[in-house]
Amino acid sequence: MTGHVASRKNGIADGMASLYRKMLLHPSYRFLLLVLGAPLTILLYLLHRHRLTKGGYRTITEAISKELLQSGLRDELLQEAREQISRKHIFFGKKTGKEELEKEASALADTRFNARAREQLARKLEEADSPRLSFADTYHDFISHPGYFALSLVIGFPMYLLMALYANPYLKYIAERLVMTVFVILGVAVLVFTILYVSPMNPAANLLGETATAEQIAAFNAVYGLDQPYLVQLWQSIKGIITFDLGKSFVGNELVATAISNKFPITLTLSVVATLIAVVIALPIGIISATRPNSFFDYTFMFIALLGLSIPNFWQGLIFILNFSIKLPWFPATYNPNNWMSAVMPIVVLGTGFTAAVARMTRSSTLEVIHEDYITTAKAKGLRNGQVLWKHAIGNALIPIITVIGLMFGGMLGGAAVTEKVFNISGIGSYIVDRQFIPDIPAIMGGVVYVAITISIVNVIVDLLYAFFDPRIRSKMKQY
Amino acid sequence: MKNVSLTKQEMNFRLKSNPEYGQASFAGLISLALAVLLLWNAYSPADGSFKAVGLGAGIAFGLFGLLQLAVWYLIRTNLIRHAAIGKATRGLGFLLLPSLFTGNVFVASTAFHLVKKKKYAAYTLAVYSFMTTVLVFGVTALNLFKPYVANGFLSGMTLLLIAGFIQLIALLLIAKYGGEAVIPRWMAIVAIALLATAATGNLFSLFLSLMLFAKLRNRGFTSGSRFGDVFERLSRSSTSMLGLLFVTFLLTLSITSLITFDYGLAIDNNYSAILQSPTAEYPLGTDNYGRDLFSRIVFGARISLIVGFLTTLIPLLIGGLLGALSGYYGKRTDNLIMRALDVLYAVPAILLAIAIIAAFGAGTVNLIIALSVSSIPTYARTMRANVLQVSTLEYVQAARAFGSNDWIILFKHILPNSVAPMIVQSTLTIGSAVISTSSLSFLGLGVEPHIPEWGNILKLGSAYLETHSFTAIYPGLAIILLVLSFNFLGDGLRDALDPKLD
Repeated sequence: MTGHVASRKNGIADGMASLYRKMLLHPSYRFLLLVLGAPLTILLYLLHRHRLTKGGYRTITEAISKELLQSGLRDELLQEAREQISRKHIFFGKKTGKEELEKEASALADTRFNARAREQLARKLEEADSPRLSFADTYHDFISHPGYFALSLVIGFPMYLLMALYANPYLKYIAERLVMTVFVILGVAVLVFTILYVSPMNPAANLLGETATAEQIAAFNAVYGLDQPYLVQLWQSIKGIITFDLGKSFVGNELVATAISNKFPITLTLSVVATLIAVVIALPIGIISATRPNSFFDYTFMFIALLGLSIPNFWQGLIFILNFSIKLPWFPATYNPNNWMSAVMPIVVLGTGFTAAVARMTRSSTLEVIHEDYITTAKAKGLRNGQVLWKHAIGNALIPIITVIGLMFGGMLGGAAVTEKVFNISGIGSYIVDRQFIPDIPAIMGGVVYVAITISIVNVIVDLLYAFFDPRIRSKMKQY
Repeated sequence: MKNVSLTKQEMNFRLKSNPEYGQASFAGLISLALAVLLLWNAYSPADGSFKAVGLGAGIAFGLFGLLQLAVWYLIRTNLIRHAAIGKATRGLGFLLLPSLFTGNVFVASTAFHLVKKKKYAAYTLAVYSFMTTVLVFGVTALNLFKPYVANGFLSGMTLLLIAGFIQLIALLLIAKYGGEAVIPRWMAIVAIALLATAATGNLFSLFLSLMLFAKLRNRGFTSGSRFGDVFERLSRSSTSMLGLLFVTFLLTLSITSLITFDYGLAIDNNYSAILQSPTAEYPLGTDNYGRDLFSRIVFGARISLIVGFLTTLIPLLIGGLLGALSGYYGKRTDNLIMRALDVLYAVPAILLAIAIIAAFGAGTVNLIIALSVSSIPTYARTMRANVLQVSTLEYVQAARAFGSNDWIILFKHILPNSVAPMIVQSTLTIGSAVISTSSLSFLGLGVEPHIPEWGNILKLGSAYLETHSFTAIYPGLAIILLVLSFNFLGDGLRDALDPKLD
């Protein structure tokens, strides 16, 4: 194999080939690799077939198995397997029929026979100094020639993009995570649509009233495409979500996408501000509680945190309105986008549970970290407490906290409907709730799926932040 | 007498390692805080006068709180001087016991702990089972001020009285004999009687009687069961016991209210008593249809508990099974199940519930289904992680080597050893299920509006926030207390079941 020898000198081709080989081991990457480089794949396949026949592998393989069969190895193995299996059955007190035993024994014998044959083949090839040729080897030899390499770059360009992605662990991780997210979002769209499709509710009858005739209902259904089969409607919805064109809502005859794009930023802004404030308050409380466990400060704040977790948002909102709008006229009771004072109470209500959860998580994860051995080591080295805490403990303690922040943000965005109703905010949550009585299918579908998309993106960011904060995860990413 | 060489560290250790010390300060501070709250509520700034009931309760809480703090100071000096609590100080606990009859469970439970030097789970359970019955009896007795009572009121009260009496006797007997490893054979009678009182919904009685049976059967041959161990640890945490106390109190009240409360007062309109302020006849006032808020909240407890329990149990079973299969079989099964659940997980629980309710209509059954579906992935993930961990243990490999089939390995060997985190998880999420239920009811998407559910009561009350705010405040307090109790209980259970301690 001259190509083989020549390639030893070619660094780029070696690297590419080993990458190619690695990717072929992974089922989904193998599929993508072969499909994206389809012209190249076909070319390589033909070349590979040709080389196999030329090398005479098939003839050698056949000869070996024939030889082994004639030597009576197969019968020997069968006999051995039969004995083994029957002994096993006797030991476990199992009763099986003769045929079943025979089937099991011949399967076992086959595996062993094939293994033996492969062994022989490998030995024979070794003697002839020509290791078995794989598809990846063909690729290797092919690109070792600069001209062919350039050709492969041209005809298999998408494949090389994929390989570049695969070669960089971070890019690969991000890409895999994004692909997963796309599938999850598609799943969410299908799920929500299916739930609304199988609904026994009849939007047409609900909207047109009891006096509506069958023709009117049929006309309504035709206008909104409700008479189409399931798959067509599903496809329309998914297409609508991707192209931000969900059509008109059943009520008010407005464009759903416009309505959502008006309402969603309000909810998102309130949630993000609440998140930021909550994190700023919760982290110090949790850290101080953890550094002074079982002190008065710790007990008091953890009690308040548990209380914060237990208060329903709507009740807290009502009590705030009662005390700070009605009894003391400090803040307006209803939200108004032009008056930031009116956003204070909704933000506090949204952030309460969040602050409580993050403070509790900070405390427990910091406590766990400061009992680790490496912290003891750091203290034994003579570092000051502050240095130990800030340089060694907090960074590692942050990882579970980030998870909680990501999870809670999703919960907050989804649960904002209640708070929005209390403060009369026209956000996405109250939009969905207002439309659910009909049910206004495009509006609900759009609202729920866009919220889910936002949350999924936040989760991707959280996952990437892990890598940023934790060197252990970074190194793990590189290995796999 | 005074030990001058005591360092600050030693002193701190003596104080912190003593459970009575911490409990005493907690109970004292909480009672004083509640006293201030009660007095502030009873005070009407318009004419500078106090409402009689609020004033009485406030003073009672304040007095016992002060007494408790005095006892706390005595405990402190005792500990610093002698490193132990003196007999006289423990005797003072008897003075604090009557606080139970003012409804002050904090001081009462501390007092019960103080008077007994050697504590064990059976004693604590006996104390709490007795306290539950006393509280339920007291709350039910408020019905006496009503113009009429339910038909079964008298018989129900008699039964409660008998149950309380049995539990008191059991408490005294357990205080005397319960601490030994081998308890007398006739304690079986006590255990059976306690089991009968558990029919009122008293979980403490149930656990206590199970514990006694286990002890009788065991006769000191083994060092005790895991169940006993967990209770031994749980009973040391006063906050989680107080949480369980409130849950049990509501459960008992929901069950006994079947005969002791008149449902009519909670649902029938009474236009002669619209929006009344709290009085003896209507302890928490009336709503805009003249319905008694107190009765409504008591009946609402039943729905909250049922919905909360079911929306925890259903996903626990389904999610647990899916997670177990996914963790045990791995590979393709795992991928299939977990990716499907990822889709469910990507939609926030409340939004998914709203979508399901939008499709199938509002109602209790749909609410339960909606909330259950949205929490399946959380349980499945927890269970999967546990199963993955447990299936690598040697005894599972041994079972496999011995030729057990997959189902037997899974259900007999793996699942029983991976339920502990699931129990903790379900206790912690039952609280959020209660919140979700009332939130959805508040939005008009939950329980049917005519049923007195806490969220529904609050929704009606929120319309009268300005003029009659109590109609919105009291049901909210009930929700908070229930959720807080579940959270305390969950925290305690997590500590008690923590494998790191074993």
